[in-house]
Amino acid sequence: MKHNIFTMTSLTIVLFSLSLVSIALALSFGAANISPSQLLQCLVNQCDSALTETIVWQIRIPRILVGFAAGAGLASAGAILQNTTRNPLADPYLFGIVSGAGLGATIASIVFAENLTFSLPFAAFLGALFAISLVFLLAKYVQRIEQLLLAGVAISFMLGAVTQFMLYIGDPLASNRVLFWLMGSLANVEMSQFYLIFSVVSGAIIIILAFHQHIDALALGDENAMSLGVNVNKLRLLMLALCAAITAVIVAYCGGIAFVGLMIPHIVRHYIGSSTFKLIIGASFIGGCFLIWVDVIARSAITNLELPIGIITSIIGSVFFLLIMIQGNRSHG
Amino acid sequence: MSLSATIQPLLSVNDLHWSVANKAILKQISFAIRSGEIVGIIGPNGAGKTSLLRCILQYITDYQGSIYFNTSNINTLSRQFIAQHIAVVNQINDPVFKLTVIDVIRMGLLPYKTFFASVTKEDTQTIAQALEKTGLTHLQHEEFTHLSGGEQQRALIARALVQKADLLILDEPTNHLDVYYQHQILQLVKSLNLTVLMTIHDLNLANEYCSRLMLLDQGKIIADGDNETVLQANQLTTVFGLPCQHLTEPTTGLKKVYFTALNANRVSCDET
Repeated sequence: MKHNIFTMTSLTIVLFSLSLVSIALALSFGAANISPSQLLQCLVNQCDSALTETIVWQIRIPRILVGFAAGAGLASAGAILQNTTRNPLADPYLFGIVSGAGLGATIASIVFAENLTFSLPFAAFLGALFAISLVFLLAKYVQRIEQLLLAGVAISFMLGAVTQFMLYIGDPLASNRVLFWLMGSLANVEMSQFYLIFSVVSGAIIIILAFHQHIDALALGDENAMSLGVNVNKLRLLMLALCAAITAVIVAYCGGIAFVGLMIPHIVRHYIGSSTFKLIIGASFIGGCFLIWVDVIARSAITNLELPIGIITSIIGSVFFLLIMIQGNRSHG
Repeated sequence: MSLSATIQPLLSVNDLHWSVANKAILKQISFAIRSGEIVGIIGPNGAGKTSLLRCILQYITDYQGSIYFNTSNINTLSRQFIAQHIAVVNQINDPVFKLTVIDVIRMGLLPYKTFFASVTKEDTQTIAQALEKTGLTHLQHEEFTHLSGGEQQRALIARALVQKADLLILDEPTNHLDVYYQHQILQLVKSLNLTVLMTIHDLNLANEYCSRLMLLDQGKIIADGDNETVLQANQLTTVFGLPCQHLTEPTTGLKKVYFTALNANRVSCDET
């Protein structure tokens, strides 16, 4: 399919260029006023001052790169979960990953109140793994994929309830910290975190792309995929594990960023295509760019106040879904 | 066709039993299919037709008895191997997400592809031939869900052709299709010169397009053989619970199976 290869290549080039432009433009936004020439000098040569160097290399670049990797990861995880469960509303958050991370973060806030820089993300990661392990254990007893989604929702509520109980009886300061963390933020990220998130996200995406035709075969039903030689249960568990790894590592460092995994795949399916290869390539780049710009809004919408990024994605996401619903009703009406 | 292919059955089912919650769904099923045959499985709803196909395809694996593909027990073969030799046209399950016709047909390459393997020139030719044989070339970039039922069935048959399988299994291929499409699909299946096993409800279509029939009732094979033997009126009356007659169509000379509506008093079987 020469035509298709050409389309995919050109699409990837366009999206890659768009991502580079987004990263470059986002660098010029922030509390400190840094001119484009100062930025350019800082990037290609030497910064004009130690302060500019710190702002560009230690604050803005890690933040933008983590934003891109997290957006790409969340959008891809959502896309792949939707395709493997054949449910357009599936989202990594439905599997209790964020609730598990929230529980981990709560325990860390109460137990290690003094040293949260390392313990909070680590505990959040463990919490996310705990939640997904519960879903995996339940998966053995599940006959249909819809039941797996319901099991995930049940675990999510269960862990959420435990978290709320701990916050209710715990220290109010710890509650504040956890609540702020759950709203999501890229404010305190570092380059080392970018390397970790990027490795997990890109590794998972490469594996997903290797199985893209197998995942496509699921679109017409499990038995249809089996008749094409796909081991459906193993494939689904592998994809679930990859989504869990992506989401857990992002949630651990960036907190709860909702709706990206739900909204971006919908946009990509509408404008680019539904086959897994196109969907994952599109979701990675568009999800990455989306989160970069949401973060720009988070840090520049209100002077001297940083908004939690999860609040902005939730506002945009909910409005987006209402618009889709209204448009859908109009086209059917 | 080699000599050995005519002697060695392509598929043989030996004393197959399958039950769910102590209820026997399939009982003592034994038959063999040779290359080139078009075998139709007929029988009332709940007779076990689709369950039998699902056992052969290894969707169901907790059966008793054995199923052989050529000389190998099918439960020892990998899914990929089975997919390279047996293609299936299942009852249509609409995709939730938009896939084009060519996306669906290209899936037929899957049993032969390793990870990241690209579509070769030969693959493109195979797909083009399958599209042409099924008359779908002009619809290849359409959304699969936008096609009519008959076109969707043709797309799945095209995918089966890309799979290059030895045996084509179809589960109720004429379900939900109007008369025109029913004949179109079955003519297409017949023209492919493949070995075919299909479940089919319409007895007259089965008679017209199959070279051999198998009548299933309550999980058992009641009759298996040439169409005339299997479609005996008294046998069909017993199995379907409706008075049955055979009428001869004056133009084609084809024998047609005809059931009369159920009355308070059952009509005894009568052959004309």
